[in-house]
Amino acid sequence: MTSSDQDGCAEFSRLSRRGLLRGTLAVGAGIGVTSVYGSAFVQTSYAATRSAPAVLVVLSLRGAVDGMSLVVPHGDPVYYAARPRIAVPAATLLAKDGFFGLHPNLAPLLPMWNAGRMAAVHATGLPAPNRSHFAAIEEVEDADPGSAARVGWLNRLIGRDADTHPLQAIQLGESVPPVALAGPQASVAVESIDDMRLAGADKWDTAGRRPRSMRTMWAGAPGPLGVGARSAMRAIADYGPVRATAPGPANGARYPGGDLGKALAATARTIRGDVGAEVITVDHGSWDHHADLGTLEWGDLQRMTTELASALAAFFTDLGPLASKVTVVTLSEFGRRTKENANYGLDHGFGNVMLLLGAGVRGGYHGAWPGLTNDVNADLLVTTDYRSVLAEVVVKRMGASSARVFPGFQPEQVGAIA
Amino acid sequence: MTAARPYPKTPIPTRATLHALQRFTAGYTPALNRQVVAAGGFARWFERQLTGAYDDRWATQTAAWWPSVDATPEQVWKRHQDGVEELWRADANYQCWSLARRIGSQRQVLETMADFWEHHLHVPAAGEVGPFRASYGRMVRARALGRYADLLQAAVTHPAMAVYLTNANSSKRAPNENLGRELLELHTVGRGQYDEDDVKASARILTGWRIGLWRDWAVSYDPAHHWTGPVTVMGFSHANAAADGRPVVTAYLNYLARHPATARRIATKLARRFVSDAPPAALVSRLASVYLKNDTAIVPVLRALVTSPELAAARNAKVRTPAEDVVATWRALDVRLTAAPRNGDDEIAANQLLWQTASLGLTPFGWQRPDGRPDDAASWSSTSRFLASVDVHYTMAGGWWPRRGAAYRAPASWLPAKKLRFDQLVDHLARNLHGQRSTPLLLRVACEATGCKPREVITRKHRIMRWEMPRLLTVLLDSPTHMTR
Repeated sequence: MTSSDQDGCAEFSRLSRRGLLRGTLAVGAGIGVTSVYGSAFVQTSYAATRSAPAVLVVLSLRGAVDGMSLVVPHGDPVYYAARPRIAVPAATLLAKDGFFGLHPNLAPLLPMWNAGRMAAVHATGLPAPNRSHFAAIEEVEDADPGSAARVGWLNRLIGRDADTHPLQAIQLGESVPPVALAGPQASVAVESIDDMRLAGADKWDTAGRRPRSMRTMWAGAPGPLGVGARSAMRAIADYGPVRATAPGPANGARYPGGDLGKALAATARTIRGDVGAEVITVDHGSWDHHADLGTLEWGDLQRMTTELASALAAFFTDLGPLASKVTVVTLSEFGRRTKENANYGLDHGFGNVMLLLGAGVRGGYHGAWPGLTNDVNADLLVTTDYRSVLAEVVVKRMGASSARVFPGFQPEQVGAIA
Repeated sequence: MTAARPYPKTPIPTRATLHALQRFTAGYTPALNRQVVAAGGFARWFERQLTGAYDDRWATQTAAWWPSVDATPEQVWKRHQDGVEELWRADANYQCWSLARRIGSQRQVLETMADFWEHHLHVPAAGEVGPFRASYGRMVRARALGRYADLLQAAVTHPAMAVYLTNANSSKRAPNENLGRELLELHTVGRGQYDEDDVKASARILTGWRIGLWRDWAVSYDPAHHWTGPVTVMGFSHANAAADGRPVVTAYLNYLARHPATARRIATKLARRFVSDAPPAALVSRLASVYLKNDTAIVPVLRALVTSPELAAARNAKVRTPAEDVVATWRALDVRLTAAPRNGDDEIAANQLLWQTASLGLTPFGWQRPDGRPDDAASWSSTSRFLASVDVHYTMAGGWWPRRGAAYRAPASWLPAKKLRFDQLVDHLARNLHGQRSTPLLLRVACEATGCKPREVITRKHRIMRWEMPRLLTVLLDSPTHMTR
C-alpha cells in the first residue's frame, strides 16, 4: 500500500461517521459547503438517509396541457361553441357532475376518483398570464417573484430542515434538473436507477482505488460540476437500498410503454428503497398541442391522456400500502386558449387544471369557475393561484411553512388536501 | 515530496492558445496544435479558419456514409415510404453526421459556429419535421459564417421550421401563433420587446405557406391563405395589401435581424457560448455594436470575441455539453472512425456516437423545446450526466465500446520512450489529452487510481502498459480539465 493509500483509508474511516459530517456541514449552507465535505464521500452506505414520512411527487406536464380537455367544463356552453371540432362530447365524460367531467381516457384513474383519492382544481395558474413556455416555467417553478435569486420552490422545501442529503430530492427520467430544484440544496437528477453507479468501481478494483481516486480528483473542484460530481458519488453509496429492491413493479402493476411509465416505475422503486427521498420530480410531455390535439378518435391528446392515466394508476398499484404516504400533484406552465385554431389545436392560454392524487387528497372537483368567453383570444381566467394549491400540499403533507416555500405569498383555502 | 519530473519533449501550445482552441474547436489534439503552428500562430490559424482555407473533405466524405444526409426532401420521403429509412432514422443519421463532422473536420471553427446557430435556431432532429431536418442542418452550416439576416431568412422560411413550429398551413382564418411568437422570443429580439398584439401580427405576417404534411410534404405558398391588411410589430409597419405576403416576410425579418435587441440577444448567446455562463455586460455591448456596424455579419463579431480580454480571463469556465464531451473524448483518445455504417447498423461506431450522447442525457439537436439545449453548467452537472460521462470515458479508454468501425491506439503507443518514470508518463499524457502540463493533483489521482508511485519506472512490460492503461487514461478524461473547456 502506498502512503497515499493509507491516507485515503484513514480519511475514509474518520469521515464515514455521520456525526462528523453533519458537524462539518453545519458551518454553512449550500454549494460552498458541499465542497467542504468533498473528500468525505464514503463507499458504503452509512445509513445517512432517514425514512421519509411523506413523499411529494411533482409531475410536470411540459408544454402546457389543455386542462379543459382533461377536466371538461361541460356545463359551460361556451366550451362547445369555441371548440366545434375538438371539444370532448358531454356524453363521453366520466365522473360527471352538473358542470365538470373527466376525459374518457382518464378511465384507469376512475377507481381512485371514486374512492375520493383524486382531486381536480380548475382555473389555477400564475397571477398574470405569461405565454412564453420558458419564462412561465421559470416563474412557476421559482415561485418567489420578490427575489432575483434562482432558487426553486422545491429547493426551499427540502431546505426547511437540517438534512442536506442529496437524495432528499430526486428527479427521475430526465437528467437535466428542473428549475424547481435549482438552488443551494443538493439534489439528484438521473434518467434511470441503473445510472447510479461509478464506472470502473468493479470487482477487479479490489483495493477501492477507483472511487477513492475520483473523490480526490473532485474534492475541491469548483462550480456546479464539482457539486454534481460530489453529490453523485455520495448518492451512489446511499442509493444501495433502492438497487437492492426487485427491479420490476410490485403488486401486479403494469405500466404503459414510454418514458412516463419508466419514470414512475423508478419513482415507486425509489420510494420502496426508503432512502429518504421526500420530493421526486418527473417531467412528461410535450403537451404543446398547437396542432393535432385532435378528437376522441385521433390526435395527440387522447393518446397522451391514456398514457398519463394508465401510468399513474400503475404507479399507485405498484406502491401498495406505501401509497398512504405519497401525494402526486400535476403542474403545467400555463393552460391553453379557449377557442380552437385551424390545426385542430390550441394556442397558448392562461388558466389550467391541477390534479392531485393519493395521500391526504380530498377527492372531487375544486376551484371557482370564472366562466368562458368565446373570443379568438379568450383564455380560461385564473381564480386560484397555483401556489395556494401547492401551499396546502407542503403545509399539510410535508409539514413545511408556506411562508418559507412561497415567500411573500398569502395562500387561500382550496380544500383539496385534508 | 520532490517535484514531479515533466516530459517536455511533447509539445503543447501556450495557455492562451489552448484556451481559445478549447472554445472554438471540438477539443484539443496534438494534430490541431500542429495545424496552428503551421499557420504561424493562433491569430493566423483563426483567420484561415474563418476564410475556409482548410479542406472540407472530411465533411463531404462522411456525408456520403448516410445517404439521406445529402438527399433532397423528396428522396428522403421516398426512402421512408419504401421502408429503406424511416424519418426518425434519417434524422438520427443526420445527428451522427454532425458528430462525425466535429470529430474529424479540419474546419473546426465552421463546425463550432454551425453548431451554435443550429442550437439558436433550434429544430429538433427527432423525426418530427418530415423529411426536412438534414437539409435544414446543411442550410445552417452553409450560412454559419455569413450574415445573420440571411441565415434568419433561410431558417424561418425553411419547411423544417414551419413544420416544427406549426406555421405549415397557418392561415388567415385562424393564424397559428407558435412560430410568430418564438421568432420574436427566441430567434430575434427576446422577451420584453413586444406585446401580445405584436405576436398576433407576427403570426399574421407568416400566414400563407402550405405543406402536405404526411401526404407528400410538398411545399407551396398560397396567397389565398395569407392574412392581408396593415400589420405592426414593434417598430415595423407594413400595409401588407398584396395577396402574396412573402415580400412582407422578407422586410419583417430584415427589420428583426437588424434590431438592437436582436444584436444584444445574439451577442449574449455568443458570449455565453464562448466566454462564460454569465458573460460580462461590457463584452455583450461591444459585440452587439460590432454586429450592428457590420450589418449582421458574424465574422467581425467573432474577431472581436476571440481577441477580447473577457475571453482570456474565462479559462475552464464552461462545462462541456453531452455532445461536446463525447466528441472531445474521441479526439483526446485519438480514436478514428474507420468505416461507413450500413443503414440501420446501430453497433457500428459512426452510429454508436449518437447513443453515447444519448446516455449522457442529450443527443445533438435532441432537445424537445424550441429554446434549444441549455448552455450553462447547472444543466450539465447532474448526477446522471456526471456518471454517464465517466462511463463513456472509461469504456473508450479501454477501447471496449464501440468497437466495430473504430480504431483505438494500442496502449504501448502512449509510451513515448522505452522506459519512463510514471510522473513523466502522466505529464506526457496530460500534454496529449489536455494540451497542457500535468498538475500535482492529476499525478496524485493517477497514483491513487493505479497504485503506481511517481518514480516508478514504466516499460512496455509494466502492468500499466499491459492491461491497466484504461485506468490511467480515464483519470485524464474524468478530470475537471477534460469535462470543461
